[in-house]
Amino acid sequence: MPKFFKRNFLRNFFNKLIGKDKKLKIGLYGHPNSGKTTLANTMTNDWLGKPIGLISEIPHETRRVYRQEHVKIEHDDVELDFDIVDTPGIATKIDYKNFLEFGLSEQEAKERAKEATKGIIEAIKWLDDVTGVLLVVDATQDPLTQANITIMGNLEARKIPFVIVANKIDLPEASADRITSVFPQHTVVPISALHGENTGDLYQAMVKKFN
Amino acid sequence: MDSTDTNALKMDFISSEALKESSSMEKISMIVDKVKEGDLLVIEGGLTPSEEAELIETTMREIDIENFVGIDIYTLEKDKSSFFGLSKKKTIGITIIGPANVMKAVKKKQNFLSMIANLGDSGASLH
Repeated sequence: MPKFFKRNFLRNFFNKLIGKDKKLKIGLYGHPNSGKTTLANTMTNDWLGKPIGLISEIPHETRRVYRQEHVKIEHDDVELDFDIVDTPGIATKIDYKNFLEFGLSEQEAKERAKEATKGIIEAIKWLDDVTGVLLVVDATQDPLTQANITIMGNLEARKIPFVIVANKIDLPEASADRITSVFPQHTVVPISALHGENTGDLYQAMVKKFN
Repeated sequence: MDSTDTNALKMDFISSEALKESSSMEKISMIVDKVKEGDLLVIEGGLTPSEEAELIETTMREIDIENFVGIDIYTLEKDKSSFFGLSKKKTIGITIIGPANVMKAVKKKQNFLSMIANLGDSGASLH
């Protein structure tokens, strides 16, 4: 998006959110390595000019909840304040042997596995505290997994609005349509968090859903 | 499962009636205890979303890195018509829960679930 349009677009986005009393706490949920931290970084770069966390190809890199509090945006003398909560990926199993493939020693892999289990518990606890969720799904993978179903079921039961983010559409094997077809009742936005592709559509969907 | 027989798979089939009187906590501890012993559970019906979240949380606490690496859950849904038959809603027909290292590969299609169980060195196939 050219800078001028991006500025205008962001201004419209913020203006739409202004005047709301509720404190927005947007949680990023999804599988390990679905691109949650990349998306959180893209969002905070767009809005704050700085990243939120460390990105890596190793699953469960985000082992604690990263919270960017008071994302304050000032524009035309108006101010918006909200939090972005980047959570560890939710899974039903953790096998330390999977980390060995990434060159970690056995000891390091076991340590990481232990931390990953704590991270998942923390991510589940945060479901009680978020006001809106971006469910990040890797569009190159089968979206119909138990972790995704569990997250969605919990969001619906708690009446927390959410947007499904079909991430990694820059990859040739990605299929956003597959995600739309299995979750036809939900809002699905295809993006590439890595390249900032289609993020405008995502922000628009967020305004619609979280307001 | 008998610890002396590593090539055997114990499967428990539990009716919804049997779980009707159980609290969420009782259900979850029963599931985790059995799965930790290497059993595969086939449950009629499903868990509620909050029970599922609680099950994942409990599983994470129980993972000991060496012996228990977590669980796999799969559900088979069925359409349920509303009272007047005007709308259809998906309900969970059966839920299969087992140790992650035993449930080697699961193929899920509409109205069909196929699983290959990995039993020690032998391997076994369940369809």
